[in-house]
Amino acid sequence: MSEHIIASAIVISSTFFLIPTIGEIFAEKSGVLNLGIEGMIVAGAAGSFLTTYLLRGLAGPKFLGGDITVWIGLLAGMLIGTVLALLHSFVSVTLNRNQIVSGIALTIFGTGLGGLFGRGVVGKQIETSKLDDISIPILKEIPFFGAVLFNRDIIVYFSYILVPLAWFILFRTKLGLMIRTVGENPISAHNQGINVKKIRHMSVLFGGALAGLSGAYLSLAWLGRWQEGITNDRGWIVIALVIVALWHPINALIGSYIFGVFWVYKLQFANGVDVLGFTIKADSNLMDMLPYLSTLGFLIIGSVMINFSKVKRLIGAPTELTVPFYDD
Amino acid sequence: MSESGYNANVLIGVAIIGLLIGAGLGFGGSQIATSDEGGVSGKLKVGFIYVGPTGDIGWTAAHDKARMILDEKYDWLETNFVADVTEGQEGPFIDNLINDWGADVIFTTSFGFMDGTIAKGLEYPDTIFFHISGFKRAKNVGTVFADFYQLYFLNGLMAGALTQTDQIGYVAAFELPELIRHINAFQLGARFINPDVTTHVTWINSWFDPTSARNAATSLVGAEDVDVLAFTEDTAAVVEYAEETANVYAFSHYSPMQVLGPTSTISGQLVKWEVLYESIIQKIFLGEYTNENLENVDILGLLKEDAVQLGGSFDEVINSEFKTRLEAVTVDDPLLGTINVWDLVLARIDEMSDTNVRFEPFTGPIYDQDGVLRLADGERMSIGDLLSILWFIGVEGGCTTANDVGCVVS
Repeated sequence: MSEHIIASAIVISSTFFLIPTIGEIFAEKSGVLNLGIEGMIVAGAAGSFLTTYLLRGLAGPKFLGGDITVWIGLLAGMLIGTVLALLHSFVSVTLNRNQIVSGIALTIFGTGLGGLFGRGVVGKQIETSKLDDISIPILKEIPFFGAVLFNRDIIVYFSYILVPLAWFILFRTKLGLMIRTVGENPISAHNQGINVKKIRHMSVLFGGALAGLSGAYLSLAWLGRWQEGITNDRGWIVIALVIVALWHPINALIGSYIFGVFWVYKLQFANGVDVLGFTIKADSNLMDMLPYLSTLGFLIIGSVMINFSKVKRLIGAPTELTVPFYDD
Repeated sequence: MSESGYNANVLIGVAIIGLLIGAGLGFGGSQIATSDEGGVSGKLKVGFIYVGPTGDIGWTAAHDKARMILDEKYDWLETNFVADVTEGQEGPFIDNLINDWGADVIFTTSFGFMDGTIAKGLEYPDTIFFHISGFKRAKNVGTVFADFYQLYFLNGLMAGALTQTDQIGYVAAFELPELIRHINAFQLGARFINPDVTTHVTWINSWFDPTSARNAATSLVGAEDVDVLAFTEDTAAVVEYAEETANVYAFSHYSPMQVLGPTSTISGQLVKWEVLYESIIQKIFLGEYTNENLENVDILGLLKEDAVQLGGSFDEVINSEFKTRLEAVTVDDPLLGTINVWDLVLARIDEMSDTNVRFEPFTGPIYDQDGVLRLADGERMSIGDLLSILWFIGVEGGCTTANDVGCVVS
């Protein structure tokens, strides 16, 4: 039996959630909710694939799993995510407009943009380079885990580094302190001489870049193809994940992998899975609901406990989330 | 806010508005694709409503290829199409094709266009409509479909011969008669060659979800030790996964996907919509089909009609990479004697392509997975029963709901 194949599928699926979740944590920690994640992922997936396809003439030797066209494609995906995030931060931070309206508009816009730019490259997977897996020497020899964790593509490895890095930046650096302060108490941050809007812009743009990268990962690394509807609206799960992860990068890692397990195993549960001697059968529609159900559960539990300041600090929801800041 | 900051904001705002307008123009421009515009009147004008993009390797591409072949072939024929039409929103596009372009015939190529097609049929009684895959008809609306169950049986024969683990897998979209029929045919073929084979089905509950299709294929290989995969859903994800995975093989579906998996695609199912469209359009041109007599016109294309073809590419019915391995497996057939699987598949194609259809996969005795005799010895299943089949022949994971006729919920 080849259990490592399923475990590998979980790692691959979870990475798709993990990267944009880290980005959204930064945006929300600074006080800006970005519901445009799905749009940025779709546009990033289409744009990166289109870029790599258009540059196909330059395809050459591979470096760390990808040739020059793939690397430029990945950068293009991040750039597109960033540009779309700029729309959101312009409307919601500079103009102080409603973040929810702007975010939803961004998702619809990004999905349309992806369809538009991606139209010409549907079915062009043969001519387009893909990001290959590269195994890490020595680590790949570890039984089971070597094949599962260290025989992946470079974006998966990046996600391993991203989590502790994000934690370190958010909780152990001055920049992280500024981001959190801006999300908790922008007025005092402003009085301390922190440029609140600049910090919020930067955080939202960082979130956009990671969402774009997640889209590029989907089209250039995981599937090696683009077609409309490629995400099946799974970008929304990221919004849910940020809440479930209590705005903490380490929890985001755990949450993403739990959701990844559900994603892969929902297909198994439809036929019944043996858990400790019991056969558990669950409808795959029910499994699709779980991320959202658990989010609702967390919101309810969170709001019941929110009165206790200690618990609130534990939960980590930024106080000023979605609240505009007027600096004059 | 400072003066310079304000100017920068205005600049960004203008850029954003420009981007939105540009995208809107680009989108609007690409919505209506036209071909051969401004033809001479007197030609038969045929319009197509597509659900997907013409560039996909799949359903819509197959229809558009047929359209182009016929447009090229007949001087008296003019075609046009609208792609990427959302199901339920076909009405205005049909209006455009009829009023602005002057279509005489409209083909709507997705199941979800069914009610809209019937409604427009009432609205335009002089126009002839054909709906693909539906079951509602009217005096000027006929139905047409091409089915693959015979091909899935042939795929099953090859799967049974090639599997090393005796476990074969099937990635399936929805529990519909169409898929149940395909899965059963696949199972019947595999069991004919190899009685020890088990078919494992995974439902992804979506026609188009490449990540789930890929995860389903991965799970079948990882959890069930499956080494041959077939599928009915609208992506090439299963073929792409098989190509990247050693010792896992797949059958392509609907379009020539062998090009995506040259060393791992055994064969597959291909459609030739041009054959069905050509016969319909000729009959319309000759006055055999009119806007008054389509109430009972329901066309089903199988091997005999040459509407479908075995293969993962139009150039070879079975990938020659697998020739030696298929020739190495032999079975005893009551009529053909001892025969290897490669030859058996070719012989079955001949038999099913014959005017008298000398072979039918669904020939009794056939028991469902409850052990209930569904088809008596020597009896052939009727087309009507095939089109509404809801029971499984012993496959793993065949039942996801308890109330399905003939399903054992274990």
